[in-house]
Amino acid sequence: MSERKWLLSAFLPGAGQFLGGRRYRGGAILLLWLILVVIVAAYGQPIWWISPILIWLWNIWDAFHLQRLGREASLFLPLLAGLSVLYGIGWQITQIDLRSADMRRALQIVRPMLRPDFVQPRRELNQMWVEILVPCKENPPRAFNKLDGKTAMATPDCARVGEVVIVSVQGLWPNTDTQIWWQTPIGDPKMLGPNESQMLILPTDDNGALSATIRVPTTALVAAPDPSLALPHRVYFDQYRNVGGWELSFNGREVLKGAGVTIAMALMATVLASLFAIPISFLAARNLMGGHPVTFAIYFAVRTFLNVLRSIESLILALIFVVIVGLGPFAGVLALALHSIAALGKLYADVLESIDPGPIEAIRATGANWAQVVRYAVIPQIISPFVAFTIYRWDINVRSATIIGLVGGGGIGYLLVELIRINDMRGVSAVFITIAVIVIALDVLSARIRERLV
Amino acid sequence: MQAMPALQRITRSALLIALVIVVLGFSWRATGIDLPRLLRDLPKGATLVRAFLTPDLFTREVETSVIGVDFPVPCGSAPQGVPPTNGPRLLPSVGCAAPGETFTLMGKEFPASSEILVRWLLPDGRTLNAVRVRTDAQGAFTATLQARPILTTQDGKSARLEAEIQRPVGGLKPSQALRDVAREMFVTIFMALLSTTIATLIAAPLSFLAASNITRRGCLGSGVYYLSRSFFNIIRAYDPLVMATIFAFWLGYGPFAGVLALTVVTIASLGKLFSEVVENIDPGPLEALQACGANRLQTVRYAVVPQIVPDFISFIIYHWDINVRISTIIGYVGGGGIGFYLSQRINGFEYNQAGTALWAIVIVVWLMDFLSAEVRKRVV
Amino acid sequence: MLRVEHLTKIYPNGTVALKDVSFEVPDGEFLVVIGLSGSGKSTLLRCINRLIEPTEGKIYWNDVDITAASPAQLRQIRRQIGMIFQQFNLVRRSKVITNVLAGRLGYVNPWLSLLGIWPAEERRRALAALERVGIADKAYERADALSGGQQQRVGIARALMQEPRLILADEPVASLDPVLAHSILQYLEELNKEGVTVICSLHFLDLVHRYATRVIALKQGVKVFEGKPQEIDRQRFKEIYGEEAQEVRAASL
Repeated sequence: MSERKWLLSAFLPGAGQFLGGRRYRGGAILLLWLILVVIVAAYGQPIWWISPILIWLWNIWDAFHLQRLGREASLFLPLLAGLSVLYGIGWQITQIDLRSADMRRALQIVRPMLRPDFVQPRRELNQMWVEILVPCKENPPRAFNKLDGKTAMATPDCARVGEVVIVSVQGLWPNTDTQIWWQTPIGDPKMLGPNESQMLILPTDDNGALSATIRVPTTALVAAPDPSLALPHRVYFDQYRNVGGWELSFNGREVLKGAGVTIAMALMATVLASLFAIPISFLAARNLMGGHPVTFAIYFAVRTFLNVLRSIESLILALIFVVIVGLGPFAGVLALALHSIAALGKLYADVLESIDPGPIEAIRATGANWAQVVRYAVIPQIISPFVAFTIYRWDINVRSATIIGLVGGGGIGYLLVELIRINDMRGVSAVFITIAVIVIALDVLSARIRERLV
Repeated sequence: MQAMPALQRITRSALLIALVIVVLGFSWRATGIDLPRLLRDLPKGATLVRAFLTPDLFTREVETSVIGVDFPVPCGSAPQGVPPTNGPRLLPSVGCAAPGETFTLMGKEFPASSEILVRWLLPDGRTLNAVRVRTDAQGAFTATLQARPILTTQDGKSARLEAEIQRPVGGLKPSQALRDVAREMFVTIFMALLSTTIATLIAAPLSFLAASNITRRGCLGSGVYYLSRSFFNIIRAYDPLVMATIFAFWLGYGPFAGVLALTVVTIASLGKLFSEVVENIDPGPLEALQACGANRLQTVRYAVVPQIVPDFISFIIYHWDINVRISTIIGYVGGGGIGFYLSQRINGFEYNQAGTALWAIVIVVWLMDFLSAEVRKRVV
Repeated sequence: MLRVEHLTKIYPNGTVALKDVSFEVPDGEFLVVIGLSGSGKSTLLRCINRLIEPTEGKIYWNDVDITAASPAQLRQIRRQIGMIFQQFNLVRRSKVITNVLAGRLGYVNPWLSLLGIWPAEERRRALAALERVGIADKAYERADALSGGQQQRVGIARALMQEPRLILADEPVASLDPVLAHSILQYLEELNKEGVTVICSLHFLDLVHRYATRVIALKQGVKVFEGKPQEIDRQRFKEIYGEEAQEVRAASL
């Protein structure tokens, strides 16, 4: 019977190896095989059962090999079978579908990103407008406007939704593209081009005059409280001309503001955190607190608290603070600060624990009390590592601050989410560039400062 | 003579302090710090934390039974119901009522100290919840109800007063939330596994391009070296969550977007670390194998690979640990996995369920931390 | 037959390592190169198998111009030339047998070798090479588990795998205890007696007297002496090593 021990592996994987004296090998085979079976049973399609079956067969072969030839069988087959199942199922449940990676859509996203919306050429606006009554009432005022030597008029003087109106304008810049658009009394802009979804753009003639046939937009009265009430709507004629030079675009300003807020968030969080972390770290330093059972208990409690807090991502803390104090950078500062207190508290405490005990002994020998010992023997030793760690934390916090915005913590991350929501990829591109610049710049800066300190 | 430097020093310190104060003041305003608000709103946080600390883990299966009595409105429009004389029963103070009239409802012999839902079964078959009551130690309750016009008898069919009793039966079962969290956690761990694996497969060959001792020969080599270096450095600046926003926008919300975002950032980060390992190898064996007449690939296989594999494995496990951590939250911006579940629960004010997810995250992250530290200790 | 003609090497930073060095090495010779540190010994040896590209001059190995060889030809030539290094240049984390097999890379199928598959015959050959240098029992240990002397023997075994017709040994005993020097050099001498040409750079003059059949001395990249080891008298010694030098015997350390 005993020379057939390997057959036991057919009934329970690993049993033959186990009884053959290879306990770890047998145990590992059984454990890994069971895990594989559970995974396949829970998530796989029937085809994945091939893998546990293959490994089962290999396990019999391995037991036979071990007993008869005293050699282990190659691990290649079971590794291949196990890994292919693991990755196959992983592929399936993470819904990796290369067909859904639509390259045309990717191009649509990437192409505008190649032209980040940071600055725009400085432009000058030449604007003219005329008021027209919609819908008609009796004796409408003349649709005519005269302004700075420019005149604009519309015929007829009033119209219903969908009716044709001829507008003309004189005194604009000659031979320049002119955007013609509609503004309702409450200030909503409407486009007048094809399908009312494109801007109507026409050039002026040599004398700066222009005449166009437009239709009152179908949506002109959509937001009106009383569609039968005749109110003046406006038709605008806009001309733009580059005047040389560049200026920040709207998105550019927002991005810079967001970047400023992000850096400020990180800075505030670091400053607040270090204010709290410094006293806490003294309680978490074993060499200062280890002398007495009570102080040791405090040390242990503080250390445990710091470790638990440190293991909670600042992003998750941000979720909680967003619920408490609402969206905005304040929630982000609180989350970053709380996480940083834990991280800095531990780093500071480690510094305190590694200080040279010689000076402490010397000062204590002069009859100094605890506070005096700290002032004259401890602080001189810790100041530069504390500063170095604080700057390092600021660097990390800037990185974290960019993502805390994503969950509503304010700053450049929040701007990123908003820009993606309105599909403004040129703005998104500006945000991405700015993030890289900030992060890399602060990385270099903090490395420089720390090099000088340490 | 000595006064000048001292004066200068004081001026410089004063300027520096002023600068720091200005910067901090600006930061204080820019970040909208509002401590009174924090103090005022802290109780809100306490409820939140309390909910997180009582996660939704288990439920009991409940058996629902309904006790009812007909209650015509107005009187005489239909026959009055007759309550039974024993067992759980509803005893209205009046047998019928006019619309708008209020009356007292008594319940007797219900399960003691349990919650009972009292509701109307309308003539058209719909239900209208009236009141939720708690029975006393004897299983009795009283409630004041109003006969609303909607209860008016239709086609000779009267409204009916009903009490719904829920009694737990059987043992504890994992709640829906716990099962959902387990499934999403499974997805999350696989997201980390796949992204780390794919990233390793791509970063390992790329890292050779970014290693100055392998690549930097000639004009083309320098070009490739600087290109791959700057690729690594720039991509590394982005947190995977920032990457995930754009991938989720491209591919739609789901784990695929999360895996891709994690993969891209991990490639850069691993590529940088790997290339540093490659740069620090001992050049002696390379020289020796070249002298044996080995070709370029053979030199890499026999002189470079054996030197770098242990460090590579250590970094891979380290990143697998980081990626588990990040994939638990990447769902918050559309990357799928447990983070997506968490964001939905928080946005839906289901804080107990969110608590379940949070606990799962903390446990898994700790477990992975421990495991990866153990494994790395063994490898190196 | 190795012929070196007007060899000059100038490094990109302007250092002149070799200046117009010419000599011939007939087959079966044990040629020792001596000189101070930085005199160009290492550069000379590395120019011969073009680990360092010479700036000017020609090197002929059996009338084939090494300096003009294409990369493929160069690998063909290199596999006939074994090399032994001062720092052994083993892959410290690999097993000894793998380090020895690596010497055969120029001969085997490159694709199979990339997969780590070696013909059984090559494995036998590797074990035989280790047997010859007396450390066959260490074949499956990691290279960094061995002592310095044992590591250098692995280096020799690796060179043996190439079935070399020329061995370049760059300070093979400089990193070892002097008492181990003879045991290493005896292997080289043994190979030399079997007909393998050896070019070796050495520090200790008594080793030169004991092993060399001919000596070349370099001083600041220039060949200052060529001849029998016995011809190096006190005068020559001062010329080569400078006025300050004192002769130190390896055996006396």
